[in-house]
Amino acid sequence: MSGTDSVIALTSPEISVKLFVTDDSVVRPLELIAVFHRWIKDDSLEDELVIDVANYEHVPQGPGIVLICDKAHYYFDVRHDRWGMRYRSRREARAVGQEAVARAFRSALHAASLLENDPALEGRYRFRTDQVEFGIYDRLRAPSTEDTLEAVRPALDATVEALYGAPAKGYALQSGPKEPFMVSIEAPGAPDVSELLGKVAATAG
Amino acid sequence: MDGGPSWQDKLKDQIPDELGREVDIFETQMELRRRGEVDERLFAETRLRRGVYGQRYDNGQRHDGTQNRPLEYRDHPTKGPETMWDAPGMVRIKIPYGAMTAEQIDVMAELSEDYSDGISHVTTRQDIQLHFVHIEDTPDMMRRLAAVGITTREACGNSVRNVTACHLAGVCKTETFDVTPYAEVLKEFLLGHPDVQDFGRKMKPAFSGCAQEACGLVNMHDIGYIAKTREVDGKVQRGFEFYVGGGLGAIPHPALLLTDFVSEEEMLPLTQAVCRVFARLGEKENRGRARIKFLVAKLGIEEFRKLVYEEREVLPHDPRWTSYIKDIADYAEVPVREPAPLETNGEHTPEFRAWYATNVRAQSQEGYAVATVKCPLGDLTADQMRDLADIARKFSGDNVRLTVEQNIVLRWVSEADLPKVHAALVAADLGAPGAETIADLTSCPGTDTCKLGIAASRGLVAELANHVGHLNGGTDPALKNLRIKASGCFNSCGQHHISDLGFYGISRKKGGRLVPHFQVVLGGKWVENGGSFGLATLAIPSKNIPTVVKRVTDRFLEEREPDETFTAFIGRLGKVEVKRFLQDLTEVPSFEEDPSYYSDWGDPRVFTMEDYGEGECAGEIVPMVEFGLQASEREVFEAQLYFDAGDMEKAKAMAYKAMLTAAQALVKTEFYDISDVPDQIVSEFKTRFHETQRFNDRFAGSKFASYLFQAHEVGGNGGRPEQARDRVQEAQLFIEAAYKCYERIGTAGAPA
Ligand code: SF4
Repeated sequence: MSGTDSVIALTSPEISVKLFVTDDSVVRPLELIAVFHRWIKDDSLEDELVIDVANYEHVPQGPGIVLICDKAHYYFDVRHDRWGMRYRSRREARAVGQEAVARAFRSALHAASLLENDPALEGRYRFRTDQVEFGIYDRLRAPSTEDTLEAVRPALDATVEALYGAPAKGYALQSGPKEPFMVSIEAPGAPDVSELLGKVAATAG
Repeated sequence: MDGGPSWQDKLKDQIPDELGREVDIFETQMELRRRGEVDERLFAETRLRRGVYGQRYDNGQRHDGTQNRPLEYRDHPTKGPETMWDAPGMVRIKIPYGAMTAEQIDVMAELSEDYSDGISHVTTRQDIQLHFVHIEDTPDMMRRLAAVGITTREACGNSVRNVTACHLAGVCKTETFDVTPYAEVLKEFLLGHPDVQDFGRKMKPAFSGCAQEACGLVNMHDIGYIAKTREVDGKVQRGFEFYVGGGLGAIPHPALLLTDFVSEEEMLPLTQAVCRVFARLGEKENRGRARIKFLVAKLGIEEFRKLVYEEREVLPHDPRWTSYIKDIADYAEVPVREPAPLETNGEHTPEFRAWYATNVRAQSQEGYAVATVKCPLGDLTADQMRDLADIARKFSGDNVRLTVEQNIVLRWVSEADLPKVHAALVAADLGAPGAETIADLTSCPGTDTCKLGIAASRGLVAELANHVGHLNGGTDPALKNLRIKASGCFNSCGQHHISDLGFYGISRKKGGRLVPHFQVVLGGKWVENGGSFGLATLAIPSKNIPTVVKRVTDRFLEEREPDETFTAFIGRLGKVEVKRFLQDLTEVPSFEEDPSYYSDWGDPRVFTMEDYGEGECAGEIVPMVEFGLQASEREVFEAQLYFDAGDMEKAKAMAYKAMLTAAQALVKTEFYDISDVPDQIVSEFKTRFHETQRFNDRFAGSKFASYLFQAHEVGGNGGRPEQARDRVQEAQLFIEAAYKCYERIGTAGAPA
């Protein structure tokens, strides 16, 4: 992929960031239905027009419980048997390039932080930050290839540096050729969600 | 979007011209609606006919549990009455007789990930639905489908819906013959056929290979065909028992026999005659009574039959009626593996044996079997779809079908491969046993996504699955084959009327508060093509439905007579006894005593119907003439685009075409069978509208009509290039005049 292609990959509106929970055994997905409905009532997600909650708990390794928004979905999903909070932007790109990546991190971190601090969940949900999954659901602009990874690497590098204060330890393409582009980011540290959220807020603008 | 790559470019060599053109037209219609140049009602029907539905809360209202709150979508024009443009919707992708190739399954996985929420939902009519789709994404979605041979055209709206058929057709031991090629031919024949464009409501066709099994569900379809043969002059002749007027909904009607034998030569023309009678005499104003079942009931089957056969007599011959027959014998599916028996050395795992007992059926072809993939609530993830496609490639080939029980079957699996298939399915979380048993529950989308949903049928069914799960594998033979089905409202998409234990959503008030309830319908017959409807008993609060299931099934086990079916048992018990027996479960505690009764399954909000929207299952009734006029507008818009791009020849030709389309639309109000031949259109238009001065403008007289005549005289794109601008403008004026003329004749009582 050329430099131009890197711009193309990150003009996609379909960017995702997933933060994994530290302990899968604490997850009781159905309890999140009530939590998400309350978020809607309380307008907990600024910047989002939240529409509804979808329940896919019955589907193994599926999207879990989904908060459907106008320009994003927030999945508490269990793809590949790992629970986590996945933010996935949709429709129009609200930003491109590194800004798009930083915004996606911010949204995922914000939702994770809400879960960590939700009184109904009694602090059971904690998220790890030493490993993050970044993805682009756009097979036209960002096929699942090492080339796409190379193309988006500068933006990922810049975001990781800004958040963690050091370069990523590594990136690994996780997705097969038929899947949406997914890359695992091995972060240089494991700061708290709240700490990262503070830093990314400044970066994402 | 920016100037990045596009699916249109990428797939241009893979999309058949006709399908590509259809998608382009739809995209143009979207653009015209965005500009406010197409009426919202008309646009709604246009998108519905392409399978692009509304979804719950797209009216911009949602109750959050304490109050109704507006959803502040951007201020676009609407995409239908009270339907916000930006609100996500559902796309229904019709899969004729449920047949899918591995490649199509892969593409569906991609689409669900790229445009939906990652889930492909199998419906009770062998469609796939994707939810939370934005309308801007639908043209690309359609292109990607078209590239693998799928069209969403006429998946919804007042048209012929998906042609369904037994998922075992062609491999079943009880069938008379394989109905698959006939279903395919009927689908092709009716898709876009002029005689099916002016229905007051939808029409659902179904095929069945035999009378005794359930799979085809002919008894609940608008038109249905059961395979039959007879001997004529020593030769076996193929044909069908032909049924009409079946349907579920609030008032279920069993289908009635139109003829006990329609030969394969007569299948298409007789169907066409039925469609014409329905289009002509079916209800158009009152949607609630516009299905063919009401027409058949109103006329009586004898009169309806008489009209159909009279119509058949005068139908102009169509060579397609019989041209397909010579190819029927060539229809065959290709397995990828050699037939071989299953090793029976007793080393199979208990999991395999449980799965084999309920999910595998031997085919009529020795050494092959059908393996059923049980899909909870009809849902599959994109990863599961991809896995399934790979399993199909390896073990069954492109021989995959969706079932009316929201499952998927792999056909032509070599029996020897079954353990490997099971292992692969288990690895994909698709190897659950209990298919087509009481543990295999069905639900429509209900309040999860449907605008008409009253109660949470999916939530209920998910809950019931926990209660009946222990019956997996048929440990209790009397219960094993019972069916449980739920619908979110009386429209019956979950097919509750023909299940043993059926439920549909309603609401009741208690102490000034709404309480979600389900009406309990017991003893419907699933076999014999959905042979009879259940007994509507009581409205019971949602939260008590699991107790209903337990109590009724326990009593059945205790009191059934040897070999007594559940249907017979309920019949024997009778409505009075069933009511007495369940009466106490109708009680609702006060909100203070138990607030859980005031919320629905899987939804913690206090139950309400304040944000309930207008449904659009059938769309609005839009007269044919309005479709024609809308098409002419789109064509003149395209003419303008050609003009802007400097292609004067195409601009002139398209502008002329637009005038012809508008003229044809007007003529259709009086002469329904007007052809597409320009000479005939112009001549009929001249006689009926020009010479009678009905087209004349109050001020401009016959000027606008003369634009058409002049363009026709020079043969459409004739004339000098500089005349292109005039031609486009003339076409615009002509179409304006056509609309005015339609308004005038409309108010004078024009046929709709
Ligand atoms: S039965 Fe009612 S709730 Fe269910 S899909 Fe049909 S219209 Fe919607």
